[in-house]
Amino acid sequence: MASMPSTIHSPLILGDKNPSDVTNDICASVERGPSLSWWVAISISSSMLLLGLISVAYQIMTGIGTWGLNNTVGWAFDITNFVFWVGIGHAGTLISAVLFLFRQKWRTSVNRAAEAMTIIAVMCAGIFPLIHMGRPWLAHWMAPYPNTRGPLWINFRSPLVWDFFAISTYFTISFVFWYVGMIPDLATLRDRLKAGWRKTTAGFLSLGWNGSFRTWLHYETVYLLLAGLATPLVLSVHTIVSWDFATSVIPGWHTTLLPPYFVAGAIFSGMSMVLTLMLIARKTMRLEDYITEQHVGAMCKMLIATGGMVAMAYLTEFVTALYSNSPYEQFAFMNRAFGPFSWAYWIMVGCNILSPQILWFKRARSNMLVVFVVTIFINIGMWFERFVIIVTSLHRDYLPSNWTGYSPTWIEIATLVGSFGLFLTLFLMFCRFIPVIAMAEVKGVLSHGRKNQ
Amino acid sequence: MSDNSSKEYWKSLERRSDGVRPLPVAGDEFASVPDAPGGERKGVELRRRDFLAAAGFVLGSATLSGCARAPVEKAIPYLVAPETIVPGRATYYASTCGACSAGCGMVVKNRDGRAIKVEGNAEHPVSHGGLCAVGQASVLGLYDSHRLEHPLQDGQEATWEVVDSEVTHRFDAMRKSGAAVRLLTGTVTSPTKRRVIQAFLKSFPNAKHIEYAMLSTSAICGAHRKTHGQSVVPRYSFDKAAVIVGFDADFLGTWLSPVAFTAGWSKGRRADVDTKNFSYHAQFESRLTVTGGKADRRVAIAPAQLGSVMNRLASLLATRAGVAFGATGDDTDVHAPVIEGLAARLWHARGKSLVVCGSQDVATQIVCNFINHMLGNYGATLDIARPFAEGEASDTGAQELLRELQSGSVDALIIDNVDPVYDLPNGAEFEAAIKQAGLVVSVADRINDTSKLATYVCPDHHYLESWGDVTLGGGFVGFQQPVMRALFDTRSVLESLSIWSASGSHKSDQALVRETWGDQVAWNMAIHDGFARISELRVASATFRNAAVKPIVDAGRPSGQELALVLYPKVAMRDGRHASNPWLHEMPDPITKVVWDNYASIAEDTAGKLGIETGDVVRVTLADGKSPAIELPALVQPAQHDQVVAIALGYGHPESARFKQVGPAWLEGKPTLGDNGLVGTNAAKLLTYRDGTLRLSGEHVSIAKTNRTHSLACTQDYHNIEIPASLVLPGMDRRRPMIQETTLAAYERDGTLPSHGYDAHHKDLGDLWPDDHKYEGYHWGMAIDLTTCTGCSACVVSCQVENNVPVVGRDEVARKRIMHWLRIDRYYSDSEGTTDILHQPVMCQHCDNAPCETVCPVLATAHSEEGLNMQTYNRCVGTRYCANNCPYKVRRFNWFDYAHEDTLANMALNPDITVRTRGVMEKCSLCVQRIEEARIEAKKQGIPIADGDIKTACQQSCPAGSIVFGDMNDPKSAVSKLIKSGRHYRMLEETNVKPSVGYLGLVRNRDENEDPTHHG
Amino acid sequence: MLTRDSKLQTLTVVLLIGAVFSLATLVARLGAFHIPGNQQGYAPEQPIAFSHRLHAGELLIDCKYCHSGAETSRHAGIPATSVCMNCHSIVTDTLGSIRAEDELAKEEKRTARRMVSGELQKIYDSLALDEEMKTKPGKVPKPIEWIKVHNLPDFVYFNHSAHVSMNVACDRCHGAVETMERVRQVEDLSMGWCVNCHRTVNHTGIAGTPVDASLDCAACHY
Repeated sequence: MASMPSTIHSPLILGDKNPSDVTNDICASVERGPSLSWWVAISISSSMLLLGLISVAYQIMTGIGTWGLNNTVGWAFDITNFVFWVGIGHAGTLISAVLFLFRQKWRTSVNRAAEAMTIIAVMCAGIFPLIHMGRPWLAHWMAPYPNTRGPLWINFRSPLVWDFFAISTYFTISFVFWYVGMIPDLATLRDRLKAGWRKTTAGFLSLGWNGSFRTWLHYETVYLLLAGLATPLVLSVHTIVSWDFATSVIPGWHTTLLPPYFVAGAIFSGMSMVLTLMLIARKTMRLEDYITEQHVGAMCKMLIATGGMVAMAYLTEFVTALYSNSPYEQFAFMNRAFGPFSWAYWIMVGCNILSPQILWFKRARSNMLVVFVVTIFINIGMWFERFVIIVTSLHRDYLPSNWTGYSPTWIEIATLVGSFGLFLTLFLMFCRFIPVIAMAEVKGVLSHGRKNQ
Repeated sequence: MSDNSSKEYWKSLERRSDGVRPLPVAGDEFASVPDAPGGERKGVELRRRDFLAAAGFVLGSATLSGCARAPVEKAIPYLVAPETIVPGRATYYASTCGACSAGCGMVVKNRDGRAIKVEGNAEHPVSHGGLCAVGQASVLGLYDSHRLEHPLQDGQEATWEVVDSEVTHRFDAMRKSGAAVRLLTGTVTSPTKRRVIQAFLKSFPNAKHIEYAMLSTSAICGAHRKTHGQSVVPRYSFDKAAVIVGFDADFLGTWLSPVAFTAGWSKGRRADVDTKNFSYHAQFESRLTVTGGKADRRVAIAPAQLGSVMNRLASLLATRAGVAFGATGDDTDVHAPVIEGLAARLWHARGKSLVVCGSQDVATQIVCNFINHMLGNYGATLDIARPFAEGEASDTGAQELLRELQSGSVDALIIDNVDPVYDLPNGAEFEAAIKQAGLVVSVADRINDTSKLATYVCPDHHYLESWGDVTLGGGFVGFQQPVMRALFDTRSVLESLSIWSASGSHKSDQALVRETWGDQVAWNMAIHDGFARISELRVASATFRNAAVKPIVDAGRPSGQELALVLYPKVAMRDGRHASNPWLHEMPDPITKVVWDNYASIAEDTAGKLGIETGDVVRVTLADGKSPAIELPALVQPAQHDQVVAIALGYGHPESARFKQVGPAWLEGKPTLGDNGLVGTNAAKLLTYRDGTLRLSGEHVSIAKTNRTHSLACTQDYHNIEIPASLVLPGMDRRRPMIQETTLAAYERDGTLPSHGYDAHHKDLGDLWPDDHKYEGYHWGMAIDLTTCTGCSACVVSCQVENNVPVVGRDEVARKRIMHWLRIDRYYSDSEGTTDILHQPVMCQHCDNAPCETVCPVLATAHSEEGLNMQTYNRCVGTRYCANNCPYKVRRFNWFDYAHEDTLANMALNPDITVRTRGVMEKCSLCVQRIEEARIEAKKQGIPIADGDIKTACQQSCPAGSIVFGDMNDPKSAVSKLIKSGRHYRMLEETNVKPSVGYLGLVRNRDENEDPTHHG
Repeated sequence: MLTRDSKLQTLTVVLLIGAVFSLATLVARLGAFHIPGNQQGYAPEQPIAFSHRLHAGELLIDCKYCHSGAETSRHAGIPATSVCMNCHSIVTDTLGSIRAEDELAKEEKRTARRMVSGELQKIYDSLALDEEMKTKPGKVPKPIEWIKVHNLPDFVYFNHSAHVSMNVACDRCHGAVETMERVRQVEDLSMGWCVNCHRTVNHTGIAGTPVDASLDCAACHY
């Protein structure tokens, strides 16, 4: 683990920090009281959350009819939000596990926050399959359990059941991975905090970490194993989510392209959301030395790469439809680009394909404001991607007599806002109570004391 | 259901382990099951003590069992069991539909003492097994909470004894004084009623019976009085006609007896049975009707053109027949070639043709009679010897009564179930005038605009509660019998009149009906069948009085580019007497697919010129300014004549104010009612009297846009079958093969449907997987003949009644969330300058490779061993994935809990079908409850289910017999034979979902060069 | 004198005994655990203490004499009060009390009074009959409100006639009703219970006759 940092790069951490500085800098945000801006942020985000909670409560009490859905468009905002949040949840595992296995040292500054974001995003995502049900109080019927119905099991052929397992596995592994990676830092906190409930909690959660060689050895082994376990999940989760659509018979959904398309898109959106959050955190929490332009640059390059894959997928869809000789398929894509929801399609193309192209320029990559704006565009674009896939495919399928439109109600919009409220609230709590950067890992990539560099 | 508020913990763990230890009565919780809220709770106390005796685990399980508080259900048996009723088994009674005056035969299903479904009587000589949407829906009228439950005197509850004694007393005085007594009724089709009325009125020195109807037949009667000396409506036999010509007569939709006519018309259009005798049907009409939509040749004409077109046809035929006719008609007319071709066809089919006309103008009807006479159709396809209806009904009768009332010379007015204040153009004058009458007695079943003016309201039974009879024509009489005990303290009008008559005899309605027929009919047989053949044959005057025939001078007033008003009865609403029926309001109009509204239909070009779009509120004013203007939303309607503004009657009914609560209440929910607090607008104000008849069409009208809009709730947007041109790739087939059609000429030659671009690459690819579902027993399937389907929507309502489909209201329909399990897709197609309309009933297709089944996470939808796609409501969690994955989009989701608060209306619910809750998916089950019932009966007898034993609700009601259901594994079944037909296809076959429902392609009697299938 | 350790030991032993004791109590109760909705063992008090043991057990009256719908309808039906009167217009009390009254009347040299038991009186009241079995003027007959014992959820359609005609014995589902003083729900009537029987009889047949019991959802749910 503690191999030499790559010499072809400039130092990953600036300011010639020594390990003690790292600890002081990063623990500072946890140890000092919350700032005014934090209070402002959390009051806004929790208000959003409250709005979401009220709208979900109203919807559950009154019925799914309070959404803008109809007999033809059975899913819209609900599953769009679900896929969007699952996609956001991709970056954490990618940065933590995949980059870890590829020995990408720059990940150490961003992996903690990325993983936290993953877990929070998956929590946000998990709400939607639940509340989109007509009878959410019977959600346990989606799980296989012994029963008196004959027994009547669940339908293992249904992609929704696969989803259920895929998402819960992903969440569990991500959570464990995040938690295990946090143990050394929790021990640091435990040692630094004054006696009190926070110290006790940190002590409890750090599982008796004593920093010994054996502890480190075990830790590194477990971490490596978990990384290995988590890596296939990066592919599996969104592949399985895409099967919700790919295994259907609806033109625009029914395509083998969807799994790689979804995975690329998910990484794209996740990276972009990580970058959005990191840019804010870097500024507000004064972590410029830890999250450097080099980090941002590396992430930008990944955005260009994954954005390219997404662009390729958009193009391939059309080519496949054209080549399929299926008039339904061809129409679905013509309708997507030029039909009533073409505005959504072109927002998607503009945000996801055009906007990241500016990142080819190093000057743009090193301008944090430009990068921030681009990532916001991508976040919007990726939400629209899911909306386009779901709504434009459904609203005009086989029989022209069924063709309808779709427009969201305020309840749906408030639910979307509420999911952002939940996301931001939890993320703010994370920033407040947990070291946002993996101190132990960052210390391993410091250039401090490496005279030969 | 038992009382849910009595949440008793019934389950005692102690007692379970102790066996059957009987508890002392006083200590048992069930002795104190609270019947009323706040009942004794002693039993619970005792149980709690028992609970506390047990350990923590028991408390835990008590909490669990607390979740399952089972409501106590009671089983209340009869005191004395009726012989014919077995609880849980339906009893069927034959009767005659009383929803309109057509007199269709029907079979009423009575389950545990209440009528829950009415269906066509397959043995009936007139309706042949079908029943229209209005008839189907009429069962709900029984359970209408607005029905009067007892007689009223000055608006106060009264007893029959009091009302009878007072009314009889006053009538007796009038008999002595010679006071003027007037009896106002609708069209009387019942011989018994006519007899009772005559007997009643005979005793008064000055009494008169006045019949009127908003949709009257007085022009036809009047014309026949002039040409044949008999005031009759002939019995029309469309089944015997090889050439059918309709002039503004929507005989498949609303005209006279649409069920019987559809049955007859469809007999001549069975393409598989007999292509040689496939009839030819031409329709001249001003607006688009279901009849015109089915015509082989449809010509849109303005009301003013009707005269010249008919004159032209009459003169062409007169030339051939060598008879004089005063006019030649306009041979410069753009339709002249069509008329000439038609004249040739008609002449060729002399004695086998039928020309019908829906005009309210006697002169026009006379020319129609003349044409039929020249073609020798009287005695062949028209029967005036045993007519459909007869009567002296004259539209002016009601107006004469009005003048009498206004002059104050009427002493007593008896109003029998009609509402002139609502349905006559001068209703307001009627309202004022009725108050002048000395005594007003109404027998209305509810308080309406007219009956509220009555001193005494003596509510009549619903027709399903009373005895009656109906003249059917063709030598048949139909009988009505009560199918259940009267719900309220009501009384048949026959009985009331009999009690009030001079003799004062109290005869039951049954006795009165029986008295009419005496030995003429075998009573028991007649009641069993619901109809009887009567020997009486009226002596027909065979002579046609040529002298009466004059060319039509003035059929409609506007000429040139002026707009003409066309008022029409809508298929579901007719004259508005069923305006209290939500099923009919929610039935999409067959043509426009609009629900819960009427509107001013305007042709596309005219709307463009006037800058009017669908949903703009327009003001419609009669040019002569006689009536106040009405305002209602506009609807742009293809295939309507440019000069026509068409408005449906029967809307804006005061009864419709009750639908305020219809539809779910939520933040963004919008009301079902319009701005006027009613459903639609009453267009009866625009009716006009001319030449002694009440005119529906032809008045010159002006139309002006207001700056308001009113969105119309429509189940389907404007789509023709093709996809938008802007979204077409080069070489892509724009026309989707949902409905496949061909011409008779092509079908006779090929015996198959033309191939289409969509099947070329898919047809014989076979499956990757072996066919592991063999369907060894039955394999249920359905075939729907698009050639005979008129789109009349009887099946839609029948399905709704049978399967407890909820009513969702206008806003929900506008949001495209209608719940109907069976929808009728409507497409337009253009060919040869005319616009065709195509109807396709679509229900769950019960795919063998059903896409919905694989995606349901909880197995709520699964495949049966007999090929049915089953939906288990109580298992559904509502992910809606199945609906998304359905290529036909036939699945229906319960977006809300739909209202079932009207406990009286709930009595019409089918007890064999679960009432679905919020959040579950539902869809057509191919009436699996009927399949199960038949299967159990067959099993009990140890025999297989015979073909035809099971009829789905939609199939049962179809007047055209277009829907056939049966076992596809039985090669001899009707459905198997249809599947082998060259016209058979399955929708979206190329997706390999293998639907069990198939369609028989639409055949129109056209030459091949008129081929509407203009693709490759 | 107890040390701290021995105190702990004693406490441990006491707690252990307590645990074992309560476990033993609980295990006995475990059998009585029902998941919500299961009404097995339900035996409500009926408005009339009608004894199936007496009528079906001792007097051997056939089930279908009273529950006549079982052969023809989905509901077996609760007999109309008039069915009770087929016998109970004559049998108004137990033989013992009638004989005792006869004896007493003979002794007192008067005609014996008609003896009517308290439970049977409820039938006569329900029909508004007087002691001479004639309709009491001014009284309205009121049917007896029995408490349903075997309740299936509203979304399940069970058909008695389908089962009776296939020779499924009544006690297969209802248990030995002829031994019950008051009727009790013997089986749990869960979906699994129904389905397992349907599965089994397709292999074994019923009373030697092969049957075809449907396993489709739509056999019961529609």
